[in-house]
Parts: sequence; structure tokens; C-alpha cells
Amino acid sequence: MAEVDKSTVVATLLAAAAHGRGGLRFLDRAERETFHPWPEILERARAAAGRLQRLGIAPGDRVAIVLPTGVDFFDAYFGIQLAGAVPVPLYPPVRLGRLDEYHRQTAAMLEAAGARLLLTERRLQLLLGETVERARPELGCARLVDLPERSFREVAVAPGDLGLVQFSSGTTVDPKPVALSHRALMAQVRVLNALWPERDGVAVTGVSWLPLYHDMGLIGCVLPAMDLPSEMTLIGPEVFVTRPAVWLRAISRYRAFISPAPNFAYGLCVTKVRDDELAGVDLSSWRAALNGAEAIAPGVARAFIERFAPFGLRPEALTPVYGLSEAALAVTFSALDRPFRSERFDRHRLADERRAVPAADGQEIVSLGRPLAGFSLRVVGPEGAEQPEGRVGRVWITGPSLMEGYLGRPEATARALVDGWLDTGDLGFLWQGELYLTGRAKDVLILRGRNYAPDLVEHAVDGLPGLRTGCAVAVSWLPEGAEGEVLALFLEAHRDSSEAQLTALPEAARQAVLGATGLAVDEVVLVAPGTLPRTSSGKLRRAETLKRHRAGELEPPAAVTALRLAGSFARSGLAWARLKVGGGRRG
Amino acid sequence: MNDREILAGVAAVAAEHLDWREPLLPEMRLVEDLRLDSIRLLTLAVEVENRFRVCLDETEDSALVTVGDLVAAVKRKLVG
Repeated sequence: MAEVDKSTVVATLLAAAAHGRGGLRFLDRAERETFHPWPEILERARAAAGRLQRLGIAPGDRVAIVLPTGVDFFDAYFGIQLAGAVPVPLYPPVRLGRLDEYHRQTAAMLEAAGARLLLTERRLQLLLGETVERARPELGCARLVDLPERSFREVAVAPGDLGLVQFSSGTTVDPKPVALSHRALMAQVRVLNALWPERDGVAVTGVSWLPLYHDMGLIGCVLPAMDLPSEMTLIGPEVFVTRPAVWLRAISRYRAFISPAPNFAYGLCVTKVRDDELAGVDLSSWRAALNGAEAIAPGVARAFIERFAPFGLRPEALTPVYGLSEAALAVTFSALDRPFRSERFDRHRLADERRAVPAADGQEIVSLGRPLAGFSLRVVGPEGAEQPEGRVGRVWITGPSLMEGYLGRPEATARALVDGWLDTGDLGFLWQGELYLTGRAKDVLILRGRNYAPDLVEHAVDGLPGLRTGCAVAVSWLPEGAEGEVLALFLEAHRDSSEAQLTALPEAARQAVLGATGLAVDEVVLVAPGTLPRTSSGKLRRAETLKRHRAGELEPPAAVTALRLAGSFARSGLAWARLKVGGGRRG
Repeated sequence: MNDREILAGVAAVAAEHLDWREPLLPEMRLVEDLRLDSIRLLTLAVEVENRFRVCLDETEDSALVTVGDLVAAVKRKLVG
């Protein structure tokens, strides 16, 4: 049999439709399903592509998508690609949230991606008005169904053409668009699908509630299912967040083999899912409960396994993985057939000597496994030398699915990609051939599986009384014993600030951040004027701030030594559902 | 359903899904006073919709600042 062409996302969709097996299933809030076989997905995408071509969308154009999980998303996503254009999925606004910051960020992303058009739906079209007003995409903001029809004219798409632009890092004013070729996307898909070969002509199936603007949802779930081809059941993230049991019930109902999620989702299931929501649920089909996209708390992973073992969950199903947008998705995987591994390392030697030395009472870190087929990994020291096992350094990777670069950002690309290797900005070490992460050298907040630019949080507190202008630093990290990364905000007091101002500052800062970003700050730390570490050019150094904080080296303002404790540890009576595993949130 | 009954329903949602143990007053702000982050705001929106069997108008969403605003929005949907 001739080899089927799957060199691009488009060719793979055609192959899936020709094969005839599988498709996409959507579950709504009431768990009602609608199923769209791949041939139908293709037919709908052709109609969408015809409309886009009539509007003037040409090969290589970037088209942004702001749509909730549903078949409309895929009409846009595949339609754009059939027309030879490049989809740029962006996240929709948050329910009940303030939109100023959303408009600013989304407009910046539209501009950075050079989007010619924004596709959305009726309900969101009005909400997006201000975003569109700011970014002014050339062809505006439209709904596919409103665009005049035209029959689709086939366009040649080559493996080297761009297949996706996604965002993960940068700042709110200067987001970095990760440009991935069809070749990279399909290379990632092939590496993933090689992990779960077809048995007796039966392809594995999956369930995902992950947002489709997130690489783990789109590249990690939908594209592999299309490549097999197989079926993938999709649930809206808002359904999962409010009713996590729907996720577990779907895995059981559709006998899913694969379903990935970030650490926080496993924790949410432990705290929110009740036994009476799981009547008849059998999780034994679930072999790849992939755990990635944020730091993994060992206590949460154990609590999840223990909680759902009575429902057939296999202890080896929970599989820590590591990856990043710049590599299309996954880079390392733990073994699928054994329970997740964690080791304890001497915390002082880790922090002070950057050496991993096993210690029975040391800090527990979860192994992220080994590089996937075709990937290599090296840990690099401060002088650029490759480190031996057990020495902490920056993690560099190479493999078949690296990005082409940051779109339109040659300098940022040159810093990240050197001789075919990608600087992940993550810090970690190798131990018995497996990757363990200890922190980040790059400036990014990772909360509930999503990346945020730190300046988003820092700008929210601009102008608060008592704060030295521009002297706020936001960092997130996983403290020992916590159930996920915590968000900490360091505020440098103004020299002339009054005690009353400093007393009010932590709470004012929490409210400002919550209002502007929807993020709850776990810890506010007031420090004395001039104590936040800076570069020689005066830029605040976030990673260094965190390092000094963890080492207890940041000085509070002299007048408020006692206050710092109050500000740091005061919790609202309503801090959002916290897990009580592994000894509580902070260790 | 009058305002008082809708408020009681919203309070029941807040107690069940957001662990809000204090009285819920119309003038309370969702973000600053109830301290709802984005996930909890979403939970509130969805659970209020489930309880009253309405679909809140998402284009109005960001104008809902207080508990009273939310009650009024539910009322508009129940009447409408």
C-alpha cells in the first residue's frame, strides 16, 4: 500500500476523511453529545475555506480565532489551513471579568501575529469590539456564517509552510508569537502517536477539556486523533472547571486511553468531585493521564491516584510530561507503564551548590521522564558548558518539532534558537537519565497550566499609595508541599511612604491584581526601598528576586518588619478552593 | 421571582460553590469584596445560570460589578 501523505495538517485531514474512521465529539454542559466524523469536518472546513478565499484570505495570511470549544472552532481552524493561511487561536474573555486588560493583551497578540482577520461568534463579537478597534485587523472581525459563500479552490500547502501561531511568553505589550511549521506540528504528532500503537486494528481514543488555544488541547489531543485517525471527545474548559466530574465520566463513557491535564486539574478533581457524581464510572481504560503544562506537585498526584483508584484508575496512568510551546508541545515523557517517579534531594546543596544530592528528608521533585524519540536534551551551566548528571543548569533541547522562530522577532529568535538547539529558560538537572526541574530563568508566571507575562500583574499595582513607582515584581513558583505554583508579588516601599500607606498596601495590591487580571495573589511581600535586585541598567531581576526571597535575604522596610508578616500571610476567608494535601499550600 | 428570592438563590450558589459563609449583600462587589478570581467568577456565572435556568448575556458580563447587578441581570432574563 502506498504511503499516505501526512506531511501537513491539511494532508492529514484529507487522509482522515478518506479513511472514514473517527471524528470529533463535543459534550455540552448537560453531557449531550454531538459527533462529527472526519469527512464532515473536512466538508465543513472546505465551505469555510471558500468563504475565506472570497473575502481575500491568501496563503500565509494569519487569521485569529476567538471561539469556544465547538465545531465552529474547527470550521475556522481547518478552513484557514485549507486556504493555505495560518490559524492563530486566542483565548476568549473570562466570564464576569473586567475586560480592559483582555482588550489590551488580545490587541497586542493580534498585532504581533499580524492577523488580517479575526473570526469569532455572535455572542463574542460585541465583546471583542474594543480589541478590534485597537488592533484594527485589515479585514476586521467576522463570523464565518456571515461571509458570502464561494466554492473552495484548492491551495498547495507545503510541510515548510507555517501551520500555527501560538503564544506562550513575552510581555503584555510585546507578546512573542511562536511560529510552527506543518512539518513541526506533524513531527510532534507522529512522536506522540508512536507511544500508543494500534492494537488489533483499534486506535486509541481520547477525551480533553483543555482550551483549544492551548497547545496541549489542540496539538496534543486533536491532531493526534486526526492522524490515527480516531475519535476525540471535547468538553469546554468552563464545563470542566465548574463540573470536573464531567471529565471523568466522559473518560469512562468513551473508554478513553489518553486525556491530558495540568496539575491543578488533578487537584480540582480531588477537592470537587463527589462519589455520587461517579456512579458506574470505570477509569481503567485511562492509560495516559498526562500531567504537564505546569509544575507537578507530588502530593497532588498521589492524592489523585488514591482518590480515584476505587473507580478503576491505574496507579501508572498518571504520567508526568514536559514540553513548551516553542517545541510544538511535548519534549519528555515518563514511562507509561510504571507509577510516576519522584526523588528527594538535599535542598541546601540544590540551592547553594546547584547539585542534586539524594537525601531521605530532602525536597521531593517529580521526574518528568526522558526525551521523546528524536529529541535530545542537555543541561548547560552559567559559562555555557554542558553539565554532568546531577548538576543544575539551563535546559536546552533539540528535536523534530521546534518552532521556526518567534514571528517577526529575529532578535528574540536568535536568543532562543542557537545552532538548532532551543533554550527553554527552565532550570533543572538530569538524574539517572530523567529530567527534574527546579525553577525558571525566564520571566513567566505559570498558573493553572496557563502562562502569564509577569508585567500583567506588576502593572496592575502601578500608582498604589506607598509603592515606589515601577517597583513591583511578580513571580510564581512551586513551594515544597504546595499543591501548585503560588503567585507572589514583591513591592518596594516608597521612601516617603507612611505607615498607614504600607499597612493598606498588601490588600490594595491584591484587589488591584484580582480586578485587572482575575488572578489571586498568594503572597504579598513588602520590601525596603532599593532592595529589589536590578540589572546594571536598572531593570528589575525577577528570578533573582525569588532566589533571594527563598534564601531569606530580602529586607522589609524598617518601619514595618512586623507588618510584612501580616501582609505576607494574611489570607482572605475565601481563598479559592485550596487542596489540603501534602501538608497544605505552603511548606 | 422577586429580587429578594433571586438574591437568596445567588447566596445559595455562593455558599455551595464558593464557600461563602457570610451574608451576601447586593452592594458587595464580586471581585473586591467576594474576592473572586477568574475561575471563581466563571463558577458563579455558570452555577447561577444552572440554578435559574437562564443564559446570562455575555456581552453584559463585564458590566456586572456587584451582587445586585447580577441579581438584576438574572431578573431581566427571567422576565424576558
